[in-house]
Amino acid sequence: MEAPDLDLRRRTYAHMVEQGRAPVAGELGDADEVRAGWRRLHDEHALVLNPATDEIRMLNPFSAVPSAWRVHARERWWYANCAWDAFGVCAALHADGRIESSCPDCGEPFAVEVEGGKPDDESLLFHVLVPAAHWWDDIVFT
Amino acid sequence: MNLFRSEEHLTRWLGGREPGATTTVMKLSELAHAWWDDRVSPDWVPHAREQNQAILDRLDLTGSFWRLA
Repeated sequence: MEAPDLDLRRRTYAHMVEQGRAPVAGELGDADEVRAGWRRLHDEHALVLNPATDEIRMLNPFSAVPSAWRVHARERWWYANCAWDAFGVCAALHADGRIESSCPDCGEPFAVEVEGGKPDDESLLFHVLVPAAHWWDDIVFT
Repeated sequence: MNLFRSEEHLTRWLGGREPGATTTVMKLSELAHAWWDDRVSPDWVPHAREQNQAILDRLDLTGSFWRLA
């Protein structure tokens, strides 16, 4: 990964953390150049673009679009892409947090408080359907 | 990648599909903190596949299911 793309990635994540949302291309510079950089970062799995719009879909562990995984940390609500990423939001922000989602089977909502990296509810079960070698085949499904 | 209320809920949700891998929410939190800790750091550089595999290995997430591409 070249230095200009690393810098673009750094500015993209900084915008997410500071503003609580992903930037649109024009907020970071010339929109065409930013999108070209984002496409290279997408190819390197450093972020995920919406293929239909070339706007950001995921800044893992953050989701740029509303999802079933909401995380309250640093006095703000964030969306995550999945269970792993929901804990990842607390990890990336180096913050305690509250994760809210629901059981995919019965729909019963649950909330998990994360304090010092530890969840307060040990009863939940984490399941990964797709083997690791295929996570990036379709990262949105994974 | 989901959290289920119990093994029974997971089995019902799978509906006969082959299960993937299951672990505790405690291990999930450890994994997430090891994996994502540096993600918003201004000094972030891409993880090599070997670095990520070492995180999984360290947490005893081993075997063919957890082998990265």
